Order: sequence, then structure tokens, then C-alpha cells
Amino acid sequence: MDAEALVHDYLGRLDFAAGSLPPSRRAELAGEVRQHIEMALAEAGARDEVTVRNVLERLGPPDEIIAAEHGSDASSPGWANVAAVPAAARGSGWGAVEIVAILLLTLGAVWLPIIGPLLGLIFVWASARWTNRQKLIATGIVLVLAVLPVILLLGLQSGSTP
Amino acid sequence: MDVSLGALLILLVPLAGILAAIYLMVALIRRRRP
Repeated sequence: MDAEALVHDYLGRLDFAAGSLPPSRRAELAGEVRQHIEMALAEAGARDEVTVRNVLERLGPPDEIIAAEHGSDASSPGWANVAAVPAAARGSGWGAVEIVAILLLTLGAVWLPIIGPLLGLIFVWASARWTNRQKLIATGIVLVLAVLPVILLLGLQSGSTP
Repeated sequence: MDVSLGALLILLVPLAGILAAIYLMVALIRRRRP
């Protein structure tokens, strides 16, 4: 079995094991695990069968990942094993995309009003470390607090001018 | 109206960005798995 087929097989077993999870969380989890695999392979600098097998072994069986998702497994599965996860993906999960997103949302909002936060949101959505729900909430905060009042006021202003 | 619109922009846009950023930062920090 070649390396890509191994990953595909692993993700297939994960998807099967995740049958009890909501579809959105299932897709999200599959994306996260695939990303972890890709990062671990990139860090290993090889994509041969042995390397892929090692990476998947460190992640642990799909059942353990799902058990950890349910919170029923207090012991740390390979999925959460620090050694299995590259530096960029462990800890609090900060990466270049996340840092740029935060900078654009904060400093960018001052330097480039409207454009800065909107660019920041693009980076937020490009990141794989936030869940879709978190991305939606952040987008909602920016849209509701910043964009909509401005649009409303501009509408009122143009409506009031003769 | 021009003044209030300008003030609103100056206040709300950074505030919105900062609030969203704080929310996302907390989410990332709390994302640590056991």
C-alpha cells in the first residue's frame, strides 16, 4: 500500500469511527487530522510508506481520537500526543496565518479602517486552527459592530441629503 | 452627521476588530487538548 493510500485508509477509518459525531464536526475533525498528518510529514521531510506509517501510529487509532472527542478517554491519545504533532500545530496553535489575522483585526483596523478587519477575516477563514463556528462568530462581531452601522449611517446620510 | 459618522468609524471599527481578535485568541489558547 502506498503512502497516500495509507492516509486515505486512515481517514476513511476515522470517518467511519466518527459516525456518532455531528456531520460538521466530523468534517472538521477529518480536516484537522489531515492537516496534522501533512504537517508531520512535512516535518519528517519524507512521504515514504515507513514515514507515513510512523506518523499514523503516533496519531493513534481512529477510535481513540473519537473517544477523546467524546471526552470519554481521559488518557491522552496519540492524537493529542505532543510528539506526534509538529511545533506549529501544538501548544496554543499559533501559526503565521493566525498571527497575521490577529494583527489585521487589531492594528489593521486602526491603520486600514474597514479594509484591515476584512483582510483579517480572510486570514481567519484561511486558518485551519479555528473552527467554523469560531470563524462565524468572529465574522459576526466585525460585521455587526463595524460594517453594518456604517452602511446604515451611510444609507441614512444619503437619504437625508436633498 | 459627518462628525458622528467619522466618530463611529473611528470607534467601532477598531473595537470590532479588537473584540473579534480577543475572541479568536481566547479560542486558540483554549484549544489545547488534554
